[in-house]
Amino acid sequence: MKKIFYLLIILAVFAACKPEHMAIPSEPLKDINGSWQIIKATRNGTDLTTRFQFSQFRIHFTDSTYTIDSLVPFIVSKSGRWAFDDPHYPFSLSFTATDSATKSSPLLYPVVEGQRNIIITFSPGCTTNAYQYTLQKVN
Amino acid sequence: MKTTYLSKIRRWLKAHPSYYWKAPGIILLLIIASCSIKIDSVVQPGSVNGGDILPVTLNVTIQTNAAQTSKFMVAVLVPKVWKASQNTTITFTSDITSGDQPMTLIPAGTPAPNGNGLDWPTYLVNKIGNGGNLLNDYEWVAFYSNAAYAVGGNVTVHATVSIKIKTSMDNLMFKLGYCVAESTDGLSDPQYYNSNFPGCFTVNGTGDLIDFCNPQLAVVDPRTSLDNDIITITFDGGVTLTALNNASQVYLCAKGYLTNGDSVTVCTQTTDTQLRSLGLNRWQKDVWPRGYFHLSDNQRLARLAYFFTDASGSVMVGYGGGADPFTYTFKCQ
Repeated sequence: MKKIFYLLIILAVFAACKPEHMAIPSEPLKDINGSWQIIKATRNGTDLTTRFQFSQFRIHFTDSTYTIDSLVPFIVSKSGRWAFDDPHYPFSLSFTATDSATKSSPLLYPVVEGQRNIIITFSPGCTTNAYQYTLQKVN
Repeated sequence: MKTTYLSKIRRWLKAHPSYYWKAPGIILLLIIASCSIKIDSVVQPGSVNGGDILPVTLNVTIQTNAAQTSKFMVAVLVPKVWKASQNTTITFTSDITSGDQPMTLIPAGTPAPNGNGLDWPTYLVNKIGNGGNLLNDYEWVAFYSNAAYAVGGNVTVHATVSIKIKTSMDNLMFKLGYCVAESTDGLSDPQYYNSNFPGCFTVNGTGDLIDFCNPQLAVVDPRTSLDNDIITITFDGGVTLTALNNASQVYLCAKGYLTNGDSVTVCTQTTDTQLRSLGLNRWQKDVWPRGYFHLSDNQRLARLAYFFTDASGSVMVGYGGGADPFTYTFKCQ
């Protein structure tokens, strides 16, 4: 009798166990929709931000297209389409201007003082001249 | 000065006779605790023709204080346009080796010993400098010996380094620089490395003279660019007396020559053409040529000819302070 009792208890304990379904958190898609301005610009490491008129420049991103206002030397000179290499973990941002080949830039995507920044590096002229622009969303 | 120190030491020893026997030991310790590497002489021509091989010989003396096994490091400061990392061979002979010892370019990004993670070219710029070259278009190119050499303590080694660099066709003046060190201590202390800058060297090449040696009235940075770059034009009125010596405002008057043979001139005295003052009669302007000359998509600039003017536009200063314009050609290396 005792044996049956213990067996029932063991069965009850095992029956109480259920597999736990753990949800693996997924990295959200990076959203850059909106208008962005240049808050810092360097050429070959020299800071040009206050020396050149960057303040009017705007790039407007939508789901897959972009437009540019008040052009300055940039990775592309016309509006077109954009894409991340990986929407979850982007390390590269590519631009395909209308009637032009795709141009890609290494991408940094840091949050600085609560504001998301996009940092891109490119050469609009000679490849030996590297420009780094830090873009921030226009509020 | 030395006599004063020696007199002081003598007086001190007289006052402390018990230290007489210790003094030679202290001096010996100081000698043993120092080691050195020195470029005794640099043999290089004053000039070569564009495209020629530049031959350089360094005579180096190394004195050790302790046994060490290290690679030998030789670096040269050269204009970037030479692409010296691809166009240089370095070998050396020494008292402790037999025959020419080959050296190989240190790959980019290789950390220098005791260099806080910096690679050799960056560490050399930070520690040794630019040799007084006035245009920011130079680089240090560093080589290691293929082999590491075991050297005993308190040994003197003489080495003769042979450097051969193929120059470019560019017409230029540059202050070449040389540095020697070893792979264990790097540039961590002046006793472990030595540098030498023999003076201004000339390449008789073709095209506009690129003068790294002498201050220029007008300088364009970057030295090589296209019309879609941002170029920085600096007017240094302190170099020589010009008609703009007392000007309170300075403006750019420029003509852009297009690749199709046309030209565009922007020579009005407005805020768009005004240079900002850097003080001491130096003025500067950052220009995006495509925007400055309002070029259309299919127009390309080949070169610039430019003057600096006062606010009235009547006083114009050109090359050497004269009536001919400064020139700048848009091209990449």
